[in-house]
Amino acid sequence: MTSTLIQKVFRWARRKSLWVLHYNSGGCNGCDIEFLDLLTPRYDVERLGIRQESVPRHADILLCTGPVTRQSRDRVLQIFTQIPEPKWVVVVGSCGCSGGVFQGSDYVLGGVDQVIPVDLYIPGCPCRPEIIIEGLIKLLEKIE
Amino acid sequence: MSFKVLVFPGFGFLFCLAMLAEWIDRRMIARFQGRVGPPVFQPLADFIKLLGKEDLLPTGVNEKLMAALPLISLAACLTAGMYIPVAGVSVNNFEGDLIVVLFLLSLPSLLYFLAGWSSIGIYSILGGNRALLQFFSYEVPFLLALSGPAILNSSWNITDIMVNQSTSIWAIFVLPVGFMLAFFGLIGKLKRDPLDIPKAQSEIVAGPLTEFSGRKLAIWHLANQIQTVVGIFLLVDTYFGGGVIESRLATFLLFSFLALLILVSLSVMSAMYARLRIDQLARLGWKRLIPLSLLQIAFIVWMGKGF
Ligand code: SF4
Repeated sequence: MTSTLIQKVFRWARRKSLWVLHYNSGGCNGCDIEFLDLLTPRYDVERLGIRQESVPRHADILLCTGPVTRQSRDRVLQIFTQIPEPKWVVVVGSCGCSGGVFQGSDYVLGGVDQVIPVDLYIPGCPCRPEIIIEGLIKLLEKIE
Repeated sequence: MSFKVLVFPGFGFLFCLAMLAEWIDRRMIARFQGRVGPPVFQPLADFIKLLGKEDLLPTGVNEKLMAALPLISLAACLTAGMYIPVAGVSVNNFEGDLIVVLFLLSLPSLLYFLAGWSSIGIYSILGGNRALLQFFSYEVPFLLALSGPAILNSSWNITDIMVNQSTSIWAIFVLPVGFMLAFFGLIGKLKRDPLDIPKAQSEIVAGPLTEFSGRKLAIWHLANQIQTVVGIFLLVDTYFGGGVIESRLATFLLFSFLALLILVSLSVMSAMYARLRIDQLARLGWKRLIPLSLLQIAFIVWMGKGF
């Protein structure tokens, strides 16, 4: 009884407070600009409790943009392991989902899911801020 | 006794106020920036979520020390809160408690430095050094500014200072400069925006707290919020006479209004000003603020002779 209550409280808190760490694993910077739009007055995701953090250890969500290049592979892995559990990975942009326009390049490994497990794909080149918000809300509903 | 420690004016009371203060602060800053801001339960949700997260530490650190630092910081802030009269109600007081409260409120800054130093990371160590430099620049004017009302009312007991002012005159009318200095010192103490040099996000990611996660981070945040509340109450008690007037209700309303006013001024400062550089702060502190606060003390002493 009490344990389910505590679980409910934690689930509520997790759904209401998401701290996002943003990492560009090799994209063209288009999706990053769209992500930063979320923090501006027009979209203001602080309403939903989403906040940008600059340290992996404080974050809940790793938001990756762009494909994984050979250079950034180790860094993505390192950042991912530094985030404390429970954690989720969100990929923003077509090339983060599958490699996109960079597919087949010698220097690109492909989508982010080649390196770390991904919970949510948000396609678009670049994707609009509305879609990113909608995706994050979908993720909120998935959180247990 | 346990009621005093756990409920009023101890943990429960200060916890609720800290959550409320953080929400008001974040909401105000968001409004000033043209945003909507977080909902009212946001600080609570953040706190609970952090409690439920995994607790990671870098290899090679002293784990006991890392666990103890945030707890000591929280304990110092809570203990300081025990001696602060709230809305004219003073639970504990003794002669000289102003000194004790000032010491307890400066303890978190030193622990903050230690946290940076012991977590073995380049950003943390840089942040810790900056925290210490900042500490020496704001702490001296803050101490001198708060000793102004104490000398004026010839007592080092916060409750006496407060009660004395309700019969004579609020210290802010005699020492407006002192209030400015104390306010500036409070911003430095809380590491809020114009003086958030030790944790400057765009320069050294999160300063000394870079390596903390989960429960420890939650307690650091809570300690900082409780320090905010206690600091604001301290300013209201020493400079505005605690808002004490005849009726209980009026005192409560005036006290809340004054505390809210100071909190909103803090948010305005954060929204309006960009961060200073550490050398600018040190120069400002030692060349302007400390001479000014010494002049203020001289002024009070001279005035005491005049009467
Ligand atoms: S999806 Fe398009 S806009 Fe986004 S990083 Fe890739 S190429 Fe750039």
